[in-house]
Amino acid sequence: MTGKKLLLKALKERGVKYLFGYIGGAIMPVFDEMEKLGSFKFIMSRHEQGAAFMSQGLSRASLSTADPQVGVCMSTSGPGAMNLVTGIADAHMDSIPVIAITGQVATGVIATDAFQESDVVGVMMPICKQTYMPLHADEIEKTIHEGFYVATTGRGGPVVIDVPKDVQNEQVSDSYTFDQATFRPHLPGYFYSPTPEREPVQRAIELINKSERPVMFCGHGVINSNAGELLRQFAEKVNIPVAFTLHGISAMPADHPLSLGMMGMHGTVEANRAIMDADLLISFGMRFDDRVTGKLNEYAQNADVIHVEIDPSEIDKNVRTSVAINADVYRTLHVLLGDPMVGYKPRRRWLQKIEGFRRVMEEDLKTEIETGVGDDNKLLMKSIIAQLSDLTKGRDLIVSDVGQHQMMAARFYNYQTTNSWYASGGAGTMGCSLPMAIGVKLARPDERVWSISGDGGFQMNAQELGTIMEHNIDVKIIILNNGYLGMVRQWQTFFFDGCYAGTPMRSPDFKFLAQAYGIPHRKVEKLQDIAPALQEAIDHPGAMVLEFICDPAEVILPMVPSGGGFEDMIVSHPRKHNDNLGQEGEAA
Amino acid sequence: MKRRAILAFTLDHPGVLNKVSMLIRKKMYNVDTLTVCRSRIPGVSRMTITLQEDDQAKVLQIIKQLEKFTEVISVKELDTNHSYWREVAIVKLEVDAGHLDDFHGRYNFEVLEQKSEDMHIIQVAGSTRNIDAFLDEVGQEHVVEIARTGVTALEK
Repeated sequence: MTGKKLLLKALKERGVKYLFGYIGGAIMPVFDEMEKLGSFKFIMSRHEQGAAFMSQGLSRASLSTADPQVGVCMSTSGPGAMNLVTGIADAHMDSIPVIAITGQVATGVIATDAFQESDVVGVMMPICKQTYMPLHADEIEKTIHEGFYVATTGRGGPVVIDVPKDVQNEQVSDSYTFDQATFRPHLPGYFYSPTPEREPVQRAIELINKSERPVMFCGHGVINSNAGELLRQFAEKVNIPVAFTLHGISAMPADHPLSLGMMGMHGTVEANRAIMDADLLISFGMRFDDRVTGKLNEYAQNADVIHVEIDPSEIDKNVRTSVAINADVYRTLHVLLGDPMVGYKPRRRWLQKIEGFRRVMEEDLKTEIETGVGDDNKLLMKSIIAQLSDLTKGRDLIVSDVGQHQMMAARFYNYQTTNSWYASGGAGTMGCSLPMAIGVKLARPDERVWSISGDGGFQMNAQELGTIMEHNIDVKIIILNNGYLGMVRQWQTFFFDGCYAGTPMRSPDFKFLAQAYGIPHRKVEKLQDIAPALQEAIDHPGAMVLEFICDPAEVILPMVPSGGGFEDMIVSHPRKHNDNLGQEGEAA
Repeated sequence: MKRRAILAFTLDHPGVLNKVSMLIRKKMYNVDTLTVCRSRIPGVSRMTITLQEDDQAKVLQIIKQLEKFTEVISVKELDTNHSYWREVAIVKLEVDAGHLDDFHGRYNFEVLEQKSEDMHIIQVAGSTRNIDAFLDEVGQEHVVEIARTGVTALEK
């Protein structure tokens, strides 16, 4: 047996069906073996970054199915591996299990600046959960299995395995044995504690029962542990409203009466105001990111904090907790649901107060969505997303890019399907949507998948139209084209006196771009054409590009200025009021 | 700024020191001293890192994030009241032998070699402050060359 054979054998044993990637000199032996085996479906991306995001899409979308898979991407050494970096760093920030296998130059020439040599382990170390470089064929199987174990347990994350070319070809030693069934990784420093301890759970229950104005937080951990349904049951059991982080969206139906929608910088007024007034925050699987909290020393001043989180290093990192439960969200919710000590309270005054918060922007947003156009009769993104939501009854899978349209898609799509919202959160990587949507579609082939991008982000990975073409991947592609980098433009409007530096952008004719890949394209400029175009894409068997010409002046509100507190929340466009919008904050 | 000693037991693997130092850099600290040695358990290293930080919460964060590394087995802070912090210095001194005699008994040092009438190589062990005091008393101007190990620490 050779290293390359064992590598593919281990992947097969781990249930890998798809390999995303790009061939090159240092990974050729593995590709050669893969082709001869014929037991993997190889999806060639047009750029390695695309392969990393496709793997993410597969991991994320399949985790709630009966057949959870870990996305695997492969690249060659040097530039191939370096092109994976952004996608790997992104997976690390968003805790997505992904395995990246990179070819490396032969051991004999490592560290001699050989052709296409990069220090992959050195580069990847700070941006992934674990790195490996097996130096003998005997180590390969063990490494792959350990890599999967590390990637998928505790707080998930990407694992990079850098395999020198000679190790791929090397024969194992005569005494080599490996038994997958009995293999246990030797990781004395790797702990995760999925089961909640009794003592903090009891203190949490006391706080919950005592509280008058509690708010529950639903983070990515709820999705990752498949605990959406339990969270809904628990929220109903204790009658506590739920606010969502960006990645917590779609854990439970967006229009649930207890849902406050998204919190944080572009969160809803009701979520942010409720947090300001709360006396207890019960957070499940989230990390109090700066986009969620705003200015930390003004955040939830009067509230106790219960923090349920699998990663102990997140506890007390940004927000001081009253009760820390270092455990898996699903198991904790299971314990809380079964505990007869946890009681229902009507909380009439609190919920009434929240109803008041809901009304602050309700009318404005409703009017905007109904009007559907801004200056020059150009379309509003909100309105397009709202119409998409109505037409699909909120049941489809939405893969968003990064920017204004992302916030619109997070806020105005009425998510009904569990685990149906995907985007780059922590890293905020533009260009993630198109390749990630490919992975999502492969994981959930029977569901409809929409990739929503702006004109900027779309062009960052537009080459993946080639992958969509080659494999006939049925992704409905929406480009919300406003001729600007919309989110940055919004900041420039609010905080830089409308000086639009580096944000205006001339795009190619997307019609010809789509056509070059044999993908039909529709350009929509009128309000009444939105729904028919969306319907046409739904009816069309296969990929389609819908380009909407949007109003560049549209903004996403409310907005908590970066580095500001929730008190500074902007709820109306600055041209409608003359408040001093404050200084640039400490965070970017 | 308060000086902190962090004790970590790690797997004796290539790249572990890299990870640990990268985290400390990422957290924007400058390492004061860092010592690594074998522990009693085969395959496990013992690392002592000292750095400056007043905020206890930040030290706890470093500890938690170090513990997150799969190769890091356990981490704790050692405070000066409950642990011994010691280092060793090897010093090349240009002094007369008589001058050194004054310090015998008061400082824990040993003459490794007398190279000439007024050139000595000595070894001195003790706390950082103790070694500093010794050098000050001997006179920094007599020091030709000095090598210090950095702090290693042991809980009482």
